[in-house]
Amino acid sequence: MKPELSEKIDEYIKNMPSLPTSVAKVLEVCNNPQTSPADLNHVISLDPVLVGRVLKLINSAYYGLSSHVTNLVRAIIMLGINTVKNLALSTAVMGNLAGKKDPLGLDMEGFWRHSLCVGVAAKLLAKKRGIDPKLAEEYFTAGLLHDIGKIPLNTVLSKEYMLTLHEADMERISLHKGEEKTLGLDHCAAGAMVVKAWKLEGAVGDAIIFHHSSEAYAGNSVDVLYSVIAANRFASLGDIGFAGDRYPDKIEKSVWDALGITQEAFAELEPMVNSEIEKAKIFLKI
Amino acid sequence: MLSVRFWGVRGSIPCPGSATVVYGGNTACLEIRADDRLVILDLGTGVKPLGDWLMAEELKKGPIDTDIFISHTHWDHIMGFPMFTPLFIPSTKLRIRGPVPFEDDTLESIIGAQLSYRYWPVRQTELAAKIVYDQIRETVLDLGDGLKVTTKFLNHPISCLGYRFEYQGKSIVTCYDHEPFRNLFPTDPGLPGYDEYAALEGEQAAKDENAKVINFFKGADVLIRDTQYTAAEYNEHLGWGHSSYEDSLASASAAGIKKLIFFHHDPNRTDAQLVELEKVYCARAAHAGVEAMMAREGLIIEA
Repeated sequence: MKPELSEKIDEYIKNMPSLPTSVAKVLEVCNNPQTSPADLNHVISLDPVLVGRVLKLINSAYYGLSSHVTNLVRAIIMLGINTVKNLALSTAVMGNLAGKKDPLGLDMEGFWRHSLCVGVAAKLLAKKRGIDPKLAEEYFTAGLLHDIGKIPLNTVLSKEYMLTLHEADMERISLHKGEEKTLGLDHCAAGAMVVKAWKLEGAVGDAIIFHHSSEAYAGNSVDVLYSVIAANRFASLGDIGFAGDRYPDKIEKSVWDALGITQEAFAELEPMVNSEIEKAKIFLKI
Repeated sequence: MLSVRFWGVRGSIPCPGSATVVYGGNTACLEIRADDRLVILDLGTGVKPLGDWLMAEELKKGPIDTDIFISHTHWDHIMGFPMFTPLFIPSTKLRIRGPVPFEDDTLESIIGAQLSYRYWPVRQTELAAKIVYDQIRETVLDLGDGLKVTTKFLNHPISCLGYRFEYQGKSIVTCYDHEPFRNLFPTDPGLPGYDEYAALEGEQAAKDENAKVINFFKGADVLIRDTQYTAAEYNEHLGWGHSSYEDSLASASAAGIKKLIFFHHDPNRTDAQLVELEKVYCARAAHAGVEAMMAREGLIIEA
């Protein structure tokens, strides 16, 4: 990767705005002095950038401790509602200040639907497989944030990324391979920069970095990673949202075996996931 | 010998006047001594009389060279800085450490913002003293000569640190501008916004974080706590970042504290009111096996 490219991406990551789908609701919730923690948690939990920024704040402050905070509820309790509101508000406002830019290759509402779908599906798969409800929340966060690296690529390299999407489509290859070919790095590598900047190390960070290279993974969060991979497959097959990957790689048998499920589990998921997304759309008023 | 002397004992705003001559009206400032070694904790208005005292009594023994720790950067804890007279002496050396609310700020810019023409006639660049700023988080610092300080994030609207000073087997711990963690999420399924996961995780988070705080001051010889409110008042100030006498006493008892200091008095508390509160809560403390007293300016406590 060229040094100037990584610098541009790093600079963008520092002030990454929230998704356009969330801005109006964030402004409404955060400007209300009587806002409830539950509503604040809800609006943030639907936006991968906001979730990442809140987790960055809590883990930066407590950096170096043995325990890493990976869920919003604990973060809101530890940071306090006003601190989280201020952060969400400033993150939402950032996007508005940026002004109009080049047209983006990746549509942000489609990206949002895909991200939420993967988060919800990963969590539902975890619950279906008997994972403790307390731990299932981490599956949601990992799924929601898995493609976070696409945002800086889509924005900083908007023209090149449009060409990348086109190239992957024409050559019928998966997006991450197309990215590697045309940009010299894929969204997992860009995601690794986000993971580092936002201190998302752990299961969430691993899902961001390894969801297209699980065979190279030697970490401790195999179950979360594999669940995100399966959920990602579910989202692509079901055409729920669109995050640029028209020809996703097939999943290795070892992933299905480790999870103890088959693709038939997806049929049960679909109505539940669609219901969650519709509820989110109503809440966000989009 | 490890000791603490109180130069400012109020929270929120200074409240000088005839009704506060006994306990004092200056905002938070503590003088920690490890034998002759000086450490200052917080730069509320109490740092002005401390600075004056240092100029009169310590400067003749040699340059003022000290570590300063800030609990947090709310104004009542830093407002005395521009009037800390040793700032204007070239031989003075200060090391100022503390947390910042957001990473983009610097401790120097936050504290130093007071030293700009719109607020104060002397600018930061015109100070004669040598000042080094160090932004800290949760950490352990060896200050040398056997003096060690451990820090812990507390629960306050902005990042706020508690400090545990340890010297020759004795300890003094500060835990003020701290509100016990509580579950902010509804636990009643009938309430709007109820979510089973959030209710359970919220309860666990509050319990875990409160246990960490108690562990931080466990076994301290001296614990300086936030007692801005009584329990009844606290219930009307949830989320404001301060504690009550009742919680401070209960947690001190649970942690095996030897001496508990009630500190960070609300500015509206008169001497007469504090006398009465002291009687009530020190009696309760004695009953719980804790020696407690009300902080007042000039009070010196040995660890």
